[in-house]
Amino acid sequence: MGDLGVNHFLFLSAILFIIGMMGVLTRRNLLIIFMCVELMANAVNLSLVAFGWELNSLNGQGFAIFIIAIAAAEAAVGLAIIMALSRRQRTVDVDDIRALRD
Amino acid sequence: MPWDVLIFYLIATICTLSAIGVVAVNNPVHSGVFLVLCFLNIAAIFVMLGAEFLAVVQVIVYTGAILVLVLFVLMLVDPDDLPEFHTGRPVQRYVGLLLGALLLLEIGAVILNRTVTGTSGTDTAASIAAVGGNTQALGRTLYTDYLLAFEVVSLVLTVGVIGAIVLALPERLGAASPVTRRGTISLAHPKDTDAALSPGPAGETPMPARPAATVAQPGLATAGRQLIMTKDPDAYTTPGSRRS
Repeated sequence: MGDLGVNHFLFLSAILFIIGMMGVLTRRNLLIIFMCVELMANAVNLSLVAFGWELNSLNGQGFAIFIIAIAAAEAAVGLAIIMALSRRQRTVDVDDIRALRD
Repeated sequence: MPWDVLIFYLIATICTLSAIGVVAVNNPVHSGVFLVLCFLNIAAIFVMLGAEFLAVVQVIVYTGAILVLVLFVLMLVDPDDLPEFHTGRPVQRYVGLLLGALLLLEIGAVILNRTVTGTSGTDTAASIAAVGGNTQALGRTLYTDYLLAFEVVSLVLTVGVIGAIVLALPERLGAASPVTRRGTISLAHPKDTDAALSPGPAGETPMPARPAATVAQPGLATAGRQLIMTKDPDAYTTPGSRRS
């Protein structure tokens, strides 16, 4: 409580990151896992911006811009991979996708 | 309690609940909508942190582009391919919850015990306002300190677009659809000679031999009228005379 400090934002970032991580660990739908990865990237963005806010620096926001750009490229490639998988393997279940393993 | 703390707790609560909704909801489309809500709340928190440009980019890129892309792919993927929610494997769920709680404890301890060792930067609110605002100051930072990284990111985006197009293409352009043809119905050749037919140019495959149709089905009633088939329709198939 009290004043709004950087710890508030860091805790929110940690909670969001861990919720995303739980989604990656427990869900089996590839698309939901993808969304959870995006959520984790956003949590990291949040903590970067919070640190930059605390230290009077714009570098955190610059890093967040780069992360968003890379996340856009990752979204395009990842969703293309999911589409190709669903077309060839007829599934988006991560437990059924083991073409690289055997 | 000051107003900004209250507003922060409101936004953080909505954000956390919608993030839990992303993970826990059964329908993937609902997950996507919850993710939109979560990202909009994160954009509001960016505004609270003085990163207005980043908040706008968050709304445009994440909720505007990436989530729309995700929802499009959700519509393109066959719903029969989507796995059931947590069918079997409850061990993964409990282990995930346990690991998440442990990691939350660790990160919380680190946050509460951290000390700032770096020197504070020069981008105070006054200096940002002197340049003209958050967008101008961020632009100066990006185009001076991070110029090379900025160019490399543009290259990565180009390569990503090309890779996405290559991956999403069909294996061969103009390839036949994966629908398997079960056979053709043709009345222009003798009965039970389907197997001898060669596959035609249209790609029809010979029908497998099937048992003769039952002659009469008295139980088959349609709308009060009883439909009785007294003769086998295959008996009326004209032999010979294939149309060319």
